[in-house]
Amino acid sequence: MSISLDSQAILLLCSQIGLILNPEYKALTLRDWNPLAKSLQVAGMRPGNLLGMSTGDMVEGVGVSSEEALRYAYLLQRSGALAIELERLESLGIFALTRADKDYPKRYRQRLKEAAPAVLFYAGDYALLGQPGIAVVGSRHLDEVGQACAEFVGNACGLSGKVLYSGGARGVDTISMDAALQSRGTAVGVLANSLETAIRHPAYREALGRGDLCFVTPYSPNASFSVGTAMGRNRLIYTLADYAVVVASDAEKGGTWAGATEALKAKWLPVFVLEHPAMPEGNKALIKKGGIPLPHPLPVGHEALSSWLEENATNLDPDPEQLSFF
Amino acid sequence: MGDGWEVNFRNLEIMNKSHTLKLLKQMLGPDKDFRPGQWEAIEAVAVKKQRALVVQRTGWGKSLVYFLATKLLREQGAGPTILISPLLSLMRNQIEAAERIGIRALTINSANRQEWAEVEAMLANDVCDLMLISPERLNNEHFLKTVLPKISGRIGLFVVDEAHCISDWGHDFRPDYRRIVRIIQMLPKGVPVLGTTATANNRVVQDVQEQMGPGLTVLRGPLIRESLRLQNIRLATQSERLAWLAENLPKFNGSGIIYCLTKADTEFVAGWLKQKGFSAEAYHAGNDSGIDRQSLEQAFLKNEIKILVATVALGMGFDKPDIAFVIHFQRPGSVVAYYQQVGRAGRALPKSYGILMSGAEDDDIQNYFIDSAFPEERVFTEILRVLQEHESLSIGDILAKVNTTFGMAEKALSLLELDRAVGQTYDRKKLYFRTPHPWKPDTERINRVLALRRSELAEMQDYVDHQGCLMAYLLEVLDDPNPSPCGRCANCQGRGFGAAVGEGLVIEAERFLKGAEVTIKVRQLWPAGLFPDQKSKIPIECQNEPGRSLSLYGDAGWGKHVAAGKYRDNHFSDALVQASAELIRNNWNPVPFPAWVTCIPSLRHPKLVPDFAWRLAQVLGIPYYPVLLRKRNAPEQKTMQNSSMQAANVLDTIAIESKIPSRAVLLVDDIVDSGWTLMMAGYLLKQNGSGAVYPFTLAKATGRTVNG
Repeated sequence: MSISLDSQAILLLCSQIGLILNPEYKALTLRDWNPLAKSLQVAGMRPGNLLGMSTGDMVEGVGVSSEEALRYAYLLQRSGALAIELERLESLGIFALTRADKDYPKRYRQRLKEAAPAVLFYAGDYALLGQPGIAVVGSRHLDEVGQACAEFVGNACGLSGKVLYSGGARGVDTISMDAALQSRGTAVGVLANSLETAIRHPAYREALGRGDLCFVTPYSPNASFSVGTAMGRNRLIYTLADYAVVVASDAEKGGTWAGATEALKAKWLPVFVLEHPAMPEGNKALIKKGGIPLPHPLPVGHEALSSWLEENATNLDPDPEQLSFF
Repeated sequence: MGDGWEVNFRNLEIMNKSHTLKLLKQMLGPDKDFRPGQWEAIEAVAVKKQRALVVQRTGWGKSLVYFLATKLLREQGAGPTILISPLLSLMRNQIEAAERIGIRALTINSANRQEWAEVEAMLANDVCDLMLISPERLNNEHFLKTVLPKISGRIGLFVVDEAHCISDWGHDFRPDYRRIVRIIQMLPKGVPVLGTTATANNRVVQDVQEQMGPGLTVLRGPLIRESLRLQNIRLATQSERLAWLAENLPKFNGSGIIYCLTKADTEFVAGWLKQKGFSAEAYHAGNDSGIDRQSLEQAFLKNEIKILVATVALGMGFDKPDIAFVIHFQRPGSVVAYYQQVGRAGRALPKSYGILMSGAEDDDIQNYFIDSAFPEERVFTEILRVLQEHESLSIGDILAKVNTTFGMAEKALSLLELDRAVGQTYDRKKLYFRTPHPWKPDTERINRVLALRRSELAEMQDYVDHQGCLMAYLLEVLDDPNPSPCGRCANCQGRGFGAAVGEGLVIEAERFLKGAEVTIKVRQLWPAGLFPDQKSKIPIECQNEPGRSLSLYGDAGWGKHVAAGKYRDNHFSDALVQASAELIRNNWNPVPFPAWVTCIPSLRHPKLVPDFAWRLAQVLGIPYYPVLLRKRNAPEQKTMQNSSMQAANVLDTIAIESKIPSRAVLLVDDIVDSGWTLMMAGYLLKQNGSGAVYPFTLAKATGRTVNG
């Protein structure tokens, strides 16, 4: 697969691909990239125009500072390494998407706007990203009710043709994802780390090959786990789905809590919270904050879950029109 | 802009050219100038930043092109050049010439591990201008994670040596080159790419052009070698050809190469020539032969060795200007391969010879190469099936589950990797895993390549019988723009070396072939995957001693008698018994000498080997005890394609049921292939109290390998 000049430039500027451990200049964060993207748009240019541009041209033509220009030039010079590394990743089944690609998930653009990651890596069928579906979130350690619920939602997705969105981690994520795949459904795992090794798992590898599964991550394909990346990834699960189900959450702490409160506040989508007599404190608190109760035992059968969620969802503002930016 | 701009551009062009010429003189001497095409190639990549393919005969000076282009690009502030080449290293004289213009060229390969740290430090300090790496290294984790980032991924120029390997229409299409193509396709336009090759016909050039993308400039020169005198000589038997060499080699002045098709052939040809007093050495890529290719090349370059007897392993990029003759002991598989090899002769000599001998075995060997060029489809699908069931597996794990040879498994894995169906990773050892990419056998591609090989073989067969100018025939097949009769070859001149050989010398060669010692080496490691929890090394007290074979199976000498005995007569002749006894007593004479004889039993031919072993014991004057028994009718060992399965097969089927003598024993079998049967049987004998075990077989199977 060949890659557009715009994507090449964005990967060089915003990803770690082919970059040394302690580079002279670090790759751009979103906070660095967004102003540059704006400057380019104002100047009537695209990211690809930066390739082969001298620092002088950048200062004059794009209107960036000379210090910024040095950083961009430093990052852009590693195009040879990028080509070799992308080829290797593609042979393994891993591809890149950037905000300049037309296939970049629309829901990220609409819901996250400038907070949409500049670069994504994925394996499997990217067309699944943003298809109608349900996100399941919750901590790794689940009680029996939580496990049953995770499995139920996974099966429900499989049987009603919805995508099951999760974080692809152990616990609630894998339980619901496995359930969706086993009922011949589709799933998306938004990974916080190690995409390169995740795709070697025999069961997932087969689903990836069939196009029933897509793993996606905003981090380097060989990034190792860290709490920070796990937190940053949560919003990327919510913003792909139509509905979210919080299975179990601590109160006032942990990634599930942080992600769920963020989703409630941003009103990206209706957030349901599993409600049962022995539910964790966090579930109660989330319901108080506007989470919609999803009673357990679940009120309907697998096939009807999706329409039940639709009927019980409180109306949120419709998604805005798609923005054009990179 | 208009005219003024054009004038400026012209000035710049002249400036560039004269500056580059100055550098060239600095490298090669004040009286030197560009050869036709050299400046055009340099200009295309270093000035215009284009992609170019250079098709020029070896010795034309392509290294000069990439050194000068590197210099110009470095002066413009570009990153170092990456030169991808199957070469082991650059020639010393080329590196020295490059240093004269301040270009430092370094190599990273698996053989110079101890130098990596130094090379990497130089890369980090930007003092390395050109780095030579092998195509495989592009997928090497260390290279990607440590080396490439040292230059922050700044690649100034991407050089692909032997670019014809990109094309699967090429005679030696290399799967690794498919990866290079994909990388080139992803390189941004501003990074210049230079492909070089000495051997590409129009179809190959067109294919390379298609794969490297539009806008590729093709620079093509004439292929003819002015000094080369070609001749074909037909001598059916190997002994006649050996005799011819002994008789005629003294007539050639200077050094030369004798090409053979197999490793075994290089060994015995070199052995014969040494016996006849020539300064000759075998050169091939066998990793168990203790051959140090680089030091052989050096000694040959310095004329300390006069004759290298080589397989195709002595190949691309080897550049010795004063080779007086290239003789082929057997006929190569294609005109392109032949021209590449014979073209090594006489690069800087007024007169040189290219002599093609062909014999009765040529077609057998070539057909074997073609038939074993690709693993069977079953091997691909079975490997994928076992990989599919696991996260990752080593090649040893795979061989324990898939019945194929190590070589075939390696070949299949590397093709699957290039089809992206398999990836590799490293965790103390190399591990393979299935990727999510779908895979189906590309039968069409494989058949196309095989059909091509067969038609190339037919072209080569025609060459042997060609009555017209031999050079013109080669050039025509190679699509040289202007092939005309050379006036120098044996056909043009109507005379050449005589094919007749003295009878006495033929008989001597025959005797040499029959007397050639063939050793059976000691197996020291258990096959991978056989005993997963055992140590890999076989305890020293359970190992066999080194053994001997009387012949190479099916080859000249005794090999043919063995084949007849096994498959036609179901009886090994007394001549074989006598020859074996002579070899064991006179040539081998192991100490302590074996005190008794036993043999590997077979249910399929219950008498054949025991009868031979019994007669051999009689001639040697020691007793014969048939102590090894077959438990059940095992599948023939040769159907077990890898060591793990072979060893397991022996353990399952051979038993010892009687008490055995504690003294040294001669362990006899008819044909040894992998050696696992003998190793496991020896292990059983030792376990049951026998003394030293000396394996002896009538013949050794010759696993022919394409890469020699």
